[in-house]
Amino acid sequence: MTEPITISELTRELKALVESEFKFIYVIAEISNFKRHTPSGHCYFILKDESSQINATLWSFRYNHLNFNPQDGDKVLIKGKVVLYEPRGTYQIDVTDMQKTGLGELQAAFEKLKDKLQEEGLFESERKRKLPEFPEKVGIVTSETGAVIQDFKNVTKKRYPVAKILLFPTLVQGAGSAENVCRAIRQANNAKYNLDIIVVARGGGSMEDLWTFNEEIVAREVFNSRVPVVSAIGHEPDFTICDFVADLRAPTPSAAAEMIFPDKQELLERINQIDYYIKIYIKDRVEVYYSSLENIENSYFFKKPVDMLNEYKMRTDDIQKDIERITKEKLSRVKESLLNKEKLLNSISPEQTLKRGFTYIIKDGKLISRKVKVKEGEDITVRFYDGDVKSKVESL
Amino acid sequence: MAKKKEEQNSFEYSYKRLEEILEKLENQGEENSLEDILNYYQEGLKLLKICRQKLSEAELKIEKINAEELK
Repeated sequence: MTEPITISELTRELKALVESEFKFIYVIAEISNFKRHTPSGHCYFILKDESSQINATLWSFRYNHLNFNPQDGDKVLIKGKVVLYEPRGTYQIDVTDMQKTGLGELQAAFEKLKDKLQEEGLFESERKRKLPEFPEKVGIVTSETGAVIQDFKNVTKKRYPVAKILLFPTLVQGAGSAENVCRAIRQANNAKYNLDIIVVARGGGSMEDLWTFNEEIVAREVFNSRVPVVSAIGHEPDFTICDFVADLRAPTPSAAAEMIFPDKQELLERINQIDYYIKIYIKDRVEVYYSSLENIENSYFFKKPVDMLNEYKMRTDDIQKDIERITKEKLSRVKESLLNKEKLLNSISPEQTLKRGFTYIIKDGKLISRKVKVKEGEDITVRFYDGDVKSKVESL
Repeated sequence: MAKKKEEQNSFEYSYKRLEEILEKLENQGEENSLEDILNYYQEGLKLLKICRQKLSEAELKIEKINAEELK
């Protein structure tokens, strides 16, 4: 038998034992009976599982550092220590930090659905459709309030205002949101809207906030969409099941607008380029035609008739010259021979003889060359060089 | 067929046709007659105007579709 001890002593010993043994522990539990005292801000609640429970405290300054607001039913992982309250002989957990563990379960559900749908072939890259280069009518399934529609609108306005955007408002979070999103996607598929692309969009948030887009019905609705679907859920690192099924995944709603629409400035530049090339090209072609025309014009065969004509012209000119030359020569020859004849004639004319002292007899204007031509008593004329002398034949 | 006309008025149609014309002029130039080339040129100028106009005059239109009952 040991010595009896007091309650206080026992309590103190228990306290030392328990507090040294459990001074740094991790505990998984569910919160219930959560109460925050005003004005101190300290929190008192029960941590439990299926068969046990322990009271817990969370001091105000620690509460302020939590990344969530604890509520009854939350599954949590807590860090803390066990303390024993001597006046009452009760023990409780002094919580120093607390995280939700529901995420772990969500993550598991996410992985499970992902595996299942992958198995079924919903993520196959072969079935991803190519988006049109110039979408004209784009439906966006998102909340009609909030930044998403504004961001999408602003980017589209800057890049490609040619497009028309149809907003299919839907809840993007909370009870009934998955069904709501499905309805909006189905509605956007109505042929009367004639959409080129459907964008399913939501801003950033926690995994739970984005959970709607990890629901199987949403995944299947996206899979069944006749119109190609672009998924733009949350921010860059967030992936949802919807992203895997969609034809294209955009990291953010603004990025979706950038990915699906061509850029106006780039297009204008390209158009200017086309303008330039077309004009250069036409100019070149016309020049080619011009120079080939010139070639034809200058070609031997094309020029031949003209050459022939020119040749004939030259030949007629030559002939004319020849004729002129020959005629001239002939004329001068004639002229020369005339002169010669004249000289000759002059040399044989009676004048010269007369000058030497000869005379001749003319009767009745005729030259008398024989004696028999005259009779006695007839008048004759004796012609001297310097004049005539009337005479009479005296005797024969 | 009813869609055809709508397509011809679209930016997409004009722009793609423009690229097509440029390609025709570039690649099949030798086979084109002068008349063809001039026709392409005229069409090209027309399309350039349409494309520029559509880009510069376009104003983003957003239409809100009210939820309708689905069967």
